[in-house]
Parts: sequence; structure tokens; C-alpha cells
Amino acid sequence: MQRMSSQQATIQARLPFVALFLILMAAYLIINLANFQFFPRSVRQELEKIGNSITNTTLRIPAERGRIYDRDGEPLAFNLVQYRLGVSPALVSDSEALLTALSEILDIDDFELYRKITSDRVWEFVAGPISAEQGQAIAALDNISLGLEEIPKRFYPQGELAAHVIGIVVDDGLRGALGVEGAYNDTLSGRVLDLSVSKVPFDLPQDRPAEQRGQDIVLTLDRDVQFWVESELSKAVEAYNAFRGAIIVMDPRNGDVLALANQPSIDPNSFLDIVDPNLRVNPAVNETYEPGTLMQALTVAGALDQGIVSEFWTYNDTGYLEVGGRDIWNPNFQSHGVTDVNSILTNSLDIGAATIALEMGTERFYSMMRAFGLGQATGVGLFAEERGELRIPGDSDWNESFLGLNSHGQNVEVTPMQMITAYSAIANGGIMRQPRIVRRVINEESAEDARPTTIRRVVSAETAEILTDMLTRVVEDGAPEAQLPGYTIAGKPGTARISTAVAFEEGANAKILSFIGFLPADDPQAVVMIKLDRPDGDYGYQVAAPVFRRVAERLVILLEIPDDTVRSRLTAAEAEISASES
Amino acid sequence: MSQAWIQHTFSRKRFRTRNQATALAILGVAILLILGSLYLSQVASFAITNRQIEELIRQRDDLKRQNEGLIGEIASLRTVPRLFARAEAIGFRPATNADIDYLLIDGYNPNRDRLAVTADDISELEAPAPVYDETFGSWLEQQLALLQDQFRSFGA
Repeated sequence: MQRMSSQQATIQARLPFVALFLILMAAYLIINLANFQFFPRSVRQELEKIGNSITNTTLRIPAERGRIYDRDGEPLAFNLVQYRLGVSPALVSDSEALLTALSEILDIDDFELYRKITSDRVWEFVAGPISAEQGQAIAALDNISLGLEEIPKRFYPQGELAAHVIGIVVDDGLRGALGVEGAYNDTLSGRVLDLSVSKVPFDLPQDRPAEQRGQDIVLTLDRDVQFWVESELSKAVEAYNAFRGAIIVMDPRNGDVLALANQPSIDPNSFLDIVDPNLRVNPAVNETYEPGTLMQALTVAGALDQGIVSEFWTYNDTGYLEVGGRDIWNPNFQSHGVTDVNSILTNSLDIGAATIALEMGTERFYSMMRAFGLGQATGVGLFAEERGELRIPGDSDWNESFLGLNSHGQNVEVTPMQMITAYSAIANGGIMRQPRIVRRVINEESAEDARPTTIRRVVSAETAEILTDMLTRVVEDGAPEAQLPGYTIAGKPGTARISTAVAFEEGANAKILSFIGFLPADDPQAVVMIKLDRPDGDYGYQVAAPVFRRVAERLVILLEIPDDTVRSRLTAAEAEISASES
Repeated sequence: MSQAWIQHTFSRKRFRTRNQATALAILGVAILLILGSLYLSQVASFAITNRQIEELIRQRDDLKRQNEGLIGEIASLRTVPRLFARAEAIGFRPATNADIDYLLIDGYNPNRDRLAVTADDISELEAPAPVYDETFGSWLEQQLALLQDQFRSFGA
């Protein structure tokens, strides 16, 4: 009895420890259970991932790139679907039947096809890219061993038309380069999605999200104008044996680029075949040149606007001038005696332009050139636009001779787009409109035309009017080759020698001949720039002005610009209507 | 003993109890079967519908692809060089300015919609920048006025 009570006492003494141990163990288990039930986010995600890997499969959905249209809605770039075909040889049940079926659809050697179907590998690439029709025929076989993967293909139905403007896509159609494709890559490109799709048949099938698609773009280009401009440029390059050429047509009232052509052109559908890197840039915006005598009109415009000279201003042209240690000569080393501003523009007198620049002084001259947009990218909306180079006082490589040289387009680098934008400002009564190539971006929220925007007023309306009159006389007296019967044309031919790092390049063709004109002069609706590199011929009025006339002949029809007589009758009719309304 | 067994076997009370339990079990199974078959039919219906949706999505994608192909074909057929060549082949030639007559119609102004640069466009450019002249007092007044308007609207 004594012994029993001793055992009981021992048990009773140890029991609390056992109970405590059991309680602690239970608590530990409860805590772990709770922890297991309420996982941290990362663990939960990992477990979901494991779970999804069993029930889901990941589909890579290619991005659908937005389309590009011309101003009238004609497609310039859109997508076609192609496929890449693969096979899982282990899943092939009847290799001969599959071979027969595939060989009827694909143009592949039967032996090669059989080798792939019966390969020991888990997955074997069979063919690609194959057309949508072939892909659909293969999908219709409903063979589980075959796998089709979509490959987006960019297609340019107009071929070479406006190739440099539209651009190209690289990296399997994922990245735009050149032109609008490059500049608006973020807008056009959709998003490649890795969509997790459930294999459970009770789960609702997932559709590709709408926002994955890129946005469509409508350009300001007019396909018909572009075609005629390109064909005229092609003829001109051939006729004058030019190395290359460019033409831009712009509406000065809103900055719309109606046509932009480069010759030689490229076929964006077979862009990879182009080996010459010079063809992979758009010279109208990606390359600069010295504009030569085209700059004289800007110099005169600046001086007129600043009140430095008037339209009756004269100077004594001795045929030679030294500015900052550099000699400046007129073309053909001629002297013209007492000469007025009109003659400077008509005869492209470098000394006259330099004299005016000296009268203006550096501050006024360069502020005007900056106002005309030189040395700044125009923001037209094309890929990798160059901003040119206008060295100004204070720059380490500027010296006093630059003032004289810049006045007639030497030692200054511009793009053709900058020059036509500057002339458009004059044509538009002194107001520089933002040049643009994209008219509208179509997205789910809006499909409205972007409103034309104004950059700045460069010169006063009065200055623009005086200069337009002068440029009209330039065409009448100095470049009659540009005249179009029935229309008043204002314009300026340009002749520029090609300079190297140290001097002007020697050779008969070492020059760039150009012409910028607008019509009708009293109500400009189109500004046209012609530029030919290294052509046969000496001056812009001889070579570029006739090309301008041919382009203008077609433009007045395509843009429905009536001749001066009809327009004056229209103006009278308009005045009559407004008088009767008021 | 045998009598006890007989009484036990044929005890109506106990037999009734077991009968009820069996009936309940059968009923339970039947309900489960009904619910199960309802669930299965619902799931099968889902699966069929989903299959149909998948098929419709596939058909839509195929049609979209075909549509893209047709757009491409039409665009290729409508290229300017092709139209130009075709027009020339059937005897057309490009119009010149001499071929065009402009007719003036009394009371009709063809330039009515024309986008022209007007003084308004420039005034927009030259409009003074908005000046920030709000003070704490004016802000407080504005808030009080808003509050009063709200109370008035409640009252109405």
C-alpha cells in the first residue's frame, strides 16, 4: 500500500510535465497547421504555379501590329499570318499516313520530311514560315503530333511606294526601324503576351485581350501624289545621271507631308536583301547637306523682318568679299555693281547674302536662322531625324567667317525636311506649322484627326508677302523652267558644292542641285522641294526647276488647284457670297 | 430461447427502426445520385459550351486571317502602278490641266471647308499664359459657396 502510494505520488509529480509537453506539442502543431493554411504570398504563388503547371499551358500570343494607311484610307502596311510547323515524333501513330498528308500540303522533300517525322528527338522543327493557307490545311488534319506556331508577317502591299516613309520592321516583326514604323514603334507594336490557358475543359476559354493589339495610324501622305512624285523623281535621277534624289511635297497651311520620295528606293517586303547600308536610311530626314544658295532666301527674309534691309535696298557688288579671313566669290566670279535684293535672289549672289548677314550682325542673323528651325529636328514624326548643325557664336568651332558662309548655305548642315519647313513658313504668311507625317492615331478611345499645330511665327505677314513677291520674280527672271502656265509660282533654285572635311570636293558632278517652290504664290497650297545629288548640270534652275514644273503640273490636278484665272473668279464669287450673307 | 429469438426477429418495433434507417440511406443515396447527375450534366454542358466557344474563337481567328489576306490581295490589285497600267491598256491617259474645266456655280463656295491659317490660330499661340492668382481666402470663399450650393440643392 505504501509502495502504491509512492508510485502514485511519482506519477502525480510527473503528470504536469507530461501534460505541459503534450500541450506544447499540440500548440506547435496548431501553429504549423495555421502557418500551412495561411501561407505567405510568395509560397502561395509558388504553389499556384505548381498547380497551374499541371492544369494550364502557356501560349505565346504574338503582338498584332497596328496598320498604316494613307490619308484616304488605302492600306500601306498591315499584317499577314504565317506559321512555323513542328512535330512530336513520339506522338506520331501512322508516320506514312502523316507523310502523305503533309507532302501534299508542303513543298518539302519527302525523304527529309520522313526523317523528321520518325526522328528520336522530342520535338522536331518541320517547316516555316509557311503561308496561312498551308497552316490552315495542316490544322484541318487535326493531328495531335503536329504543332503550329503563329508568326506575324508585316506586308507592304504598295511595294516600294513611300518605303522610306513607312519604314520596316525587324526582329521577327517585333521592332520598327526607319520611317513611321520606327518613330511610332510604341504606338504600332502590340504586346506579346504569354497567356496561361487552362486545359480543364470546364474552365471558360480565354480570348486574346483587345488591348494587346497595336494602334492603327493614318498618314498625311497622299498615295497618288506619292506615286507621281516618285515616278518623276525616278525619271529625273535617270535623265540627269544623278547619284540619288529626293522630293518632298508639303501643305504649308497645316504642315502635312503629302509626299516624300527618295531615289533609289527600297522594297520593304524584302528588306533583308538590301546590302547597301545607304539605302537603309531616309536621306530626307536622316542625312544632312549644305543647302547652298537656297539659304539666301532665309537670310533675306531675316533681314527684311528685322528691318535691316528693305525691298529697295541696294549694295555695290564687286564680286569679292572677305569675311573673317575667308574669301567669298559670286558664282562664276562675276561682279554685278550696284545691285538690289531681288538680284541677290534671282542671280544667287553669295556676296549679296554675305553683305546682308554682315549688316544683320551675328545675334540677329543666328536668331533668325534658329527661328527658321535650323539646327533643330523638325519633329515630323520619322525615325532618327537628324537635327543638322548650325554653329553659333560661342561654339568652340565657330569663327567670324561662318557669318558670311552661312548666309549662302555653306558650313551649315540641314536636312531637306528642315529646308522645306522653313520655306513653308514663308509660304504660310510667316507662320511655321509643325510638319507632320501622322494625321491620326486610331485607338479605342478616339479616331480624330490630330489638329495641326503651330510652331511659331517666324517672320511677319508683311515680310512673308514681300519675300513671296521676290521669289515669284526669281522664278520669272531666274528660273523660268519652273513656271507653269496659268499659275504664279514662287521659288528659289539652290546650288551647293559638296564639301569634305577640309575643302570642297572636286569634280564636275560634285554638287547638289535643288529647287524649292510653292504654288499658287498668292495662296500657297503646296510647297515642293526637289533635290538631286551629283547630277549632270551646273545649276539648280537648269536641273531641279524643270523637275519642279513637272511635279507641279501633276499636283494641280491631284490637289484640285485651279489656275489663277479660275481662282480670281472664285475669289470674286466668294466675296459676293460673303457680301450677300452679311 | 427459441421464443426469445422469434420475438427478437419479428419484433415490429425494431424492424420498423431498421426499415426507416434503410429508407433514409436509400433516400440519401438517391439524393446524392440526383445531385451528382445534375452536377455531371451541368459540367458536361459547360464543357460542350466551352468547346463551342473555342471553336467559335478559332473560326473568328481564321476569318480574321482570311480577311487580312483579302485586304492584302485587294491592296495589291489596287496599287497605283497596276491601276495606271490597266488604265493605259484600255486607252486612258493621264489628264492634263488643259483637259480640266472648272465650273463656277452661283452661290456655291468650294472653299468653304478649306483649312486656312487665320488670325485666330495665331491668337491661340500668342495667348497669355494662365496666371496662378488664387489665395487661401479666395479658395475658402469658393469652398463655402460650394457648400452653400449643396445645402440649397438638398433643400430643393
